[in-house]
Formats: sequence, C-alpha cells, structure tokens
Amino acid sequence: MELLITALIIAAVLFGIGLYGALSQTNLVMIMMGIELMLGASMINLVAFWRYLHPEAFSIQMFVLIAMTVMALEGAVGFAIATQRFRTSGTVEMEESAELKG
Amino acid sequence: MISVQLILLIIFGLAAIWFGWRVFMTSSMVRSALSLLASMVAIGILFLVMEAEFLGVLQIMMMGTEMSIMAIFMMMYMMDPGGLGQMDMYHQKNISIAAGVIVTVLIVGAALAADWGTIATQFPGPHEQNRLLGMEILKRSMMIFETAGVTILTGMIASIAVALSIKNSVEK
Repeated sequence: MELLITALIIAAVLFGIGLYGALSQTNLVMIMMGIELMLGASMINLVAFWRYLHPEAFSIQMFVLIAMTVMALEGAVGFAIATQRFRTSGTVEMEESAELKG
Repeated sequence: MISVQLILLIIFGLAAIWFGWRVFMTSSMVRSALSLLASMVAIGILFLVMEAEFLGVLQIMMMGTEMSIMAIFMMMYMMDPGGLGQMDMYHQKNISIAAGVIVTVLIVGAALAADWGTIATQFPGPHEQNRLLGMEILKRSMMIFETAGVTILTGMIASIAVALSIKNSVEK
C-alpha cells in the first residue's frame, strides 16, 4: 500500500507545482511548462493505478499513451500560438494579450 | 517493510519534484527547459521503477525530444533568455501559491483517506506487457488509438494554420 500512496503523493506535489506555474507565469511558454508538469503528474497516477491496483487492465496503459499524445499536441499547438503572437505583437507575454479575452 | 522499489520511488520522485520546482525558480529560460527535461526523465524512470518498461522508455524518448524543441522556442521568443536582466515574470503570485498548496493538500488527503483495496502482487513481465498492450491496441482500444492518430493529424494541420504568416493571406 505504501508504494501506491508514495506514487500518489509524488504526483500530487508535481501537480501542485504545475498548477502554481501555470497560474503564476506571465510567459506563454512557461505556462505550457506548468501544464506539461500537471499532465506528467496525471500519468504517474495512471501508471501507479495500473501497477498496484489493476495490472491486468491494459486500457490504463492505453490511457497513458493518449495522455502522451495530448502532451505532444499541447506543445505543437501552443508553440504555433506563440509563433503567431510573436509575429503580430513581438512578444509572448500574456500580460500584453488582453485583447484575446474576446 | 521498506523495499528497494519504495526507496527508488522516493529518490526519483524527489528528483522529479525538485527539477519541477526549479523550472519556475530560475531566471534563465534554458535552465528552465533543461529542468523540465530532467523532471520528465525522472518521471520516465518512475515508470521504469513501477515496472512499466515500455511506457518508461517512451516517456524518456518523447520528452527528451519535446523539451529540446521547447528550449529552442524559449530562446527564440523570450526577451531575456539568459535571465541576466532579472525580469519579473510572475503575476498573481500569492493566489497561485495558495491554489497549488490547496490542490496538493486535497489530493494527498484524498489519496490517504481512500480505501484502495488489495494491492496486486502478480503482474506480467516486460515481454508479456508489450504483447498484452499490443493486443489491447489492436482489439478493444483500436478505435481510441486510431482517434489519437486522427487527433495528431488535426493538431498538425491546426498548428500549421495558426502559425502561418497573416501577411501572406492578406497579399492574396
């Protein structure tokens, strides 16, 4: 049991750090780094649930593959938005992107 | 009883947390990207410690590539990539710290309070894991896996469409 709890606590702390980063940073790329950390924490949870609770359920490993896909796509689309922001306004600082509020 | 797996889990878990924390604590963007790379590699090693070999190796390979690209983008788009100007890149710091701490405490509380049932002792070895994951992908989860492929294609098209120069479309 202590193995599962240890993995869940590690993931919880990483998620908290990622949330702090995503909320506190003003730069788009740094916000993306926070989101990556949160997704990494969710994957630790999934692998821990697979290994310690349901090692016969490979749909959990499948779910981790989907989470990795989401991480890669988040990076690609995020960098595309950063490229366009840099082209139009010369910066990727979110403080200067108030017009995106709509 | 403290097992080798628990010790390794704690060591690499602390490494992942330390490097994750360093991402937001350094002024240098290159150091931030490298810290995130180290944190993601530590997460990959945690997968290996938890005996999910395929996912561990995949995580290390994918994140190594992604974080290297991220470091290049950070140098391209940051005003002060080396951190020499000591720019302040934070806003709503107290709210963010409070949100991070509250969410962490809530998740840890839920993890400690929940009844997780019996812990599995029998699990497939690396070769059997790969075979069973392959069977899962090719049978029950085939549609989900194909959806992931289509999603990647959509993401690629969306990224290119978003990043295209506005000047070119105006000229047409």
